[in-house]
Amino acid sequence: MNSFTSRLNSLFAFTLSVMAALTFLCFLSTFFNDHIRPVDIKVGKVTALNQVVLWDKIIERGEESLLDYHSANTKYYFWDYGNGLRGHENVTLTLSWNVIPNAGTLPKVTGAGSERIVFPDQYTSGRF
Amino acid sequence: MDYIYSFIPERIRNIPTHMDFDGQRRAEKYFQIIILLFAAVGFIWGYITQMFSHTLYILFTGVIISSVLTLIPWGMYRRNPLKWQPARDKDGNTASRPAIPAPQSQNKPKKKKLKD
Repeated sequence: MNSFTSRLNSLFAFTLSVMAALTFLCFLSTFFNDHIRPVDIKVGKVTALNQVVLWDKIIERGEESLLDYHSANTKYYFWDYGNGLRGHENVTLTLSWNVIPNAGTLPKVTGAGSERIVFPDQYTSGRF
Repeated sequence: MDYIYSFIPERIRNIPTHMDFDGQRRAEKYFQIIILLFAAVGFIWGYITQMFSHTLYILFTGVIISSVLTLIPWGMYRRNPLKWQPARDKDGNTASRPAIPAPQSQNKPKKKKLKD
């Protein structure tokens, strides 16, 4: 502490320790967040515990978070390798999302509500 | 560094840059308190707005304030200089008095203290 550089060194090291402590407190604070669930959604397909993701989107803080899509295409391929999807009665679409913190737990929230789709008995060919 | 030193004018070279021990202790205490204070305020504000960047910005202003206060060697950190013994020449004489005479004529404690 007798020279400028030694004082600078201790101040800098102290600041880094304080920032580490703040980050840890931020991490702890995420355990106390609860999340509101909205009502209208659809996306991941669920069939008897087989799940695939059909669509996703990253929304950053400040961006519009009310999404309203009509007749959108799926974002990822959705293949049926067997015959499991023909005439399937319980194809369910649900929406869930991760809340990404700066530091902390990564909760996955599932939206309330889901959409059930019944697949037809016959295959069709051609593009839609 | 020494080469640059020779170019610095005399008046700037004579500016004191040291702190005495009590000043160092006070400087360290000041910056620790200031940074902790700004960290606490910043954390509370960041929790309210849910933006960690706000916490860090408030902390950095605290770091800048405490840097200005404690890194620069202000005069207030030189208020308790060490009390050195006066200088002696090779005969043991100080500038103002001769050395104290041999101990056989007086009762003295082990440590001689020069009065000035």
